[in-house]
Amino acid sequence: MVGISSIGVYVPRSRLDRALIAKAWGGKQPAGEKAVAFYDEDALTLAVAAAHRCLEDFDALQIDGLFFASTSSPYREKQVASVVATACDLPREILTADFAGSVRAGVSALSAAVRAVQSGQARRVLVVAADCRPAEPESDLEGVLGDAAVAVVVDGKARLAEFVASAAVAEEFTFQWRSNESSGVQSQDARFSVSHGYLRDMAEVIGRVMNEQGVGSGELAALAVGTPDARTAQQLAKEVGIDAKTRLVPSLAAQIGVTGSPDPLLQLASAVERSKDGDAIVVAAFGEGAEALLFRAAAGAGVSAVRPGVQAALDRPLALPTYEKYLKYRRILGQDETPVELVSNVLEARELQQDTRLYGTRCGECGLVQYPMARVCLQCKARQGLEPVKLKKKGKIFTYTVDHLAANLDHPMGMVVVDLEAGGRVYVQMTDCTADEVKIGAPVELTFRRLHAGGDNYNYFWKARPQ
Amino acid sequence: MNSIRDKVAVIGVGCTKFGDLYDMTYEDQVCEAAFEAYADANVDPSEIDAAYIGTYLPHAQGGKAGISLADPLRLYDRPVTRVENFCATGTDAFRNACLAIASGQHDIVLVVGSEKLKDRPGRGIPRIGHQILAKGNTAPGLFALAANRYMHEFGLTRETLAKVAVKNHWNGARNPLSHLKMEVTEEQVLNAPMIAWPFGLFDCCPTTDGGAAAIVCRADIAKRFRDDYVLVKGAALAVATGRPYFDPTFDYVGFRSTQAAARNAYQQAGVEPSDIDLAEVHDCFTWTEISNIEDLGFAKKGEGGRWVEEGRTRVDGDKPINPSGGLKSFGHPIGASGVRMIYECVQQLRGKCGERQVKDPELALAHNVGGPGAVSCVVVLGRQDA
Repeated sequence: MVGISSIGVYVPRSRLDRALIAKAWGGKQPAGEKAVAFYDEDALTLAVAAAHRCLEDFDALQIDGLFFASTSSPYREKQVASVVATACDLPREILTADFAGSVRAGVSALSAAVRAVQSGQARRVLVVAADCRPAEPESDLEGVLGDAAVAVVVDGKARLAEFVASAAVAEEFTFQWRSNESSGVQSQDARFSVSHGYLRDMAEVIGRVMNEQGVGSGELAALAVGTPDARTAQQLAKEVGIDAKTRLVPSLAAQIGVTGSPDPLLQLASAVERSKDGDAIVVAAFGEGAEALLFRAAAGAGVSAVRPGVQAALDRPLALPTYEKYLKYRRILGQDETPVELVSNVLEARELQQDTRLYGTRCGECGLVQYPMARVCLQCKARQGLEPVKLKKKGKIFTYTVDHLAANLDHPMGMVVVDLEAGGRVYVQMTDCTADEVKIGAPVELTFRRLHAGGDNYNYFWKARPQ
Repeated sequence: MNSIRDKVAVIGVGCTKFGDLYDMTYEDQVCEAAFEAYADANVDPSEIDAAYIGTYLPHAQGGKAGISLADPLRLYDRPVTRVENFCATGTDAFRNACLAIASGQHDIVLVVGSEKLKDRPGRGIPRIGHQILAKGNTAPGLFALAANRYMHEFGLTRETLAKVAVKNHWNGARNPLSHLKMEVTEEQVLNAPMIAWPFGLFDCCPTTDGGAAAIVCRADIAKRFRDDYVLVKGAALAVATGRPYFDPTFDYVGFRSTQAAARNAYQQAGVEPSDIDLAEVHDCFTWTEISNIEDLGFAKKGEGGRWVEEGRTRVDGDKPINPSGGLKSFGHPIGASGVRMIYECVQQLRGKCGERQVKDPELALAHNVGGPGAVSCVVVLGRQDA
């Protein structure tokens, strides 16, 4: 038995009202908002956030594989899966891979994880799909694309859903793409692409996996699919012969946009939340072909199956005040105001446990937990008996400032001193917040964010955000 | 512990005008301050046995060496040492000069503080420190962490902070050498653009150019140079962690480095805080002055704000604080500030300060704190009859 044992969902707090896009360029936009990665977020940080939620109930030592899926990795060359694994404090001896190329990558990574566990190559694989796909200003896709991440644990326990079968096709078909020169996702003849590409391939793989397993269209409890837009999903349901109203997982496109490689997994999360033991669920995605996976919901499925819950992940949105802020935060307009600083990879490598895995030191003599890692205890001055200790990522603000002078893309910037649960005090930037959320006693959680981008090399570190 | 009390005398001081000294080089500042001190002490440069330069930023020609003092003054063939210790740089350079005399090694020692912040792009002070940890800190932001915690603990308000700025601007407006020579109202301070909450623009000292100098000698030969020499009663330095924001045991309502340095300096001088007639303290931000007067033992912890409210720290109050105008109004060229405070204390003890003169002082105190709270230096000076 192989399947899904945990799901974590992360949606950035920032939202762009589509009316602001319409106001900027004229013309019409559909109602609603799109989720926008904050100025210090990218596909890598979204992935870390989803992974942390997914792993809340797991000892990191039990994970022996991590697959990262994205079409918008911050790097063309540099593996992101291993960065996510390190930020999650996973062991070194794990299998990692990046899946990319098309928005099918999320389902491809899930499929590969299932096979890795089936074959015995790995026992428990974390799949993380994350995207913040760029759209050109004034393009049709600008109001459509949104940002999110979903993480899924695949193992032999299949607590939430058991894998049954899969089907795939692959053939060159140009629909959406982004070349090395493109500044945003490109698209060609949507009507033809949907009817002769998307619907054809998706209906084929979904039909095949259902037929092969003898699942009739009336028996399918939920169809979870990535789509170029919400309307196309309706057409697909019709094509497959299922009742769109009751069996098609409702799209979140109006609330957060179409999120790319995590989209089918986000739909899967919603499906698992609505399922009961034994329900048939198909998850499928398109991109130069298509792949569909059939799952049966397990005993753990139901309303509390997903962390923190799909709706809860959408809670407490922060509206971007202007379209211009969106252009600035996504670095479409203007320059990064932070001075160019290249962090030495010598320092990075030497301090990985402290800065990325976020370990401090516990004094064996007096018990004080301290950060950064100490050579001599800050309190009792002991030289011996100091042990590395993993810091908790939740705490309370001890003191703060809101700094208008600090060089940063977002002004003003909160800086906070946080006392962490189970000890240790850190001094970090505040993010994802309004100025009045920065106050003494406020509960915060640490979140892995882009710190600076000197020399085209992104550096990541922990910041605090309201809990 | 041996005290340096009454072993070292200040026989000469000099100070440039402080401000945006766009027409002066670092060398100009050093020379102007040093030659004024030579003249004030009636000392020939050839008589200087050793010299200390307090400066924070690396010097364009001299780098991080004593050369940055020796070259402009042509002070060769003798020891010249560069001292750098955050914002306590100036007072620590002075302390080292005093120790050099008290050790018996040297008879006459020059100490100069000079800083050229306005030659730097941006805001004068380059970012230093770890590339990742604590990124985003600024000087006002770091002190604001303490101010906000203090205000949370003791209910201090921005209105009281503003009164510190009003007082120090009043003093500075009466000082011919100060950077910001204008009075401000409480409303102006409160309505100024925000820098780092709770500090608005007028809660912050400016970035300033300037230089100051002092000449110290063996007390037993001071009479050769002038009658009204001033005696060093005590000089103490103390450090605490440079990363207080990572210290889970830190209460953030005061600085232990100041408390420790003050205890030590009073002990050397054989005096109590109540004996001090005036103090030049490190008011880099308005809140810092309030905390300082507590950490120096003048007011009890939590009561500094009330002292300000009651006017006790004005020139005509019972504990005049920063009659010069302080860093707030006089300006803060980092390494120069401490030596500039010695200059003010000496001029006050000589009774030469005009409208801002404190009435008949016998003991004066100079205090720097940097880091924030990482390093603090306290110097007590007294008249010969003190």
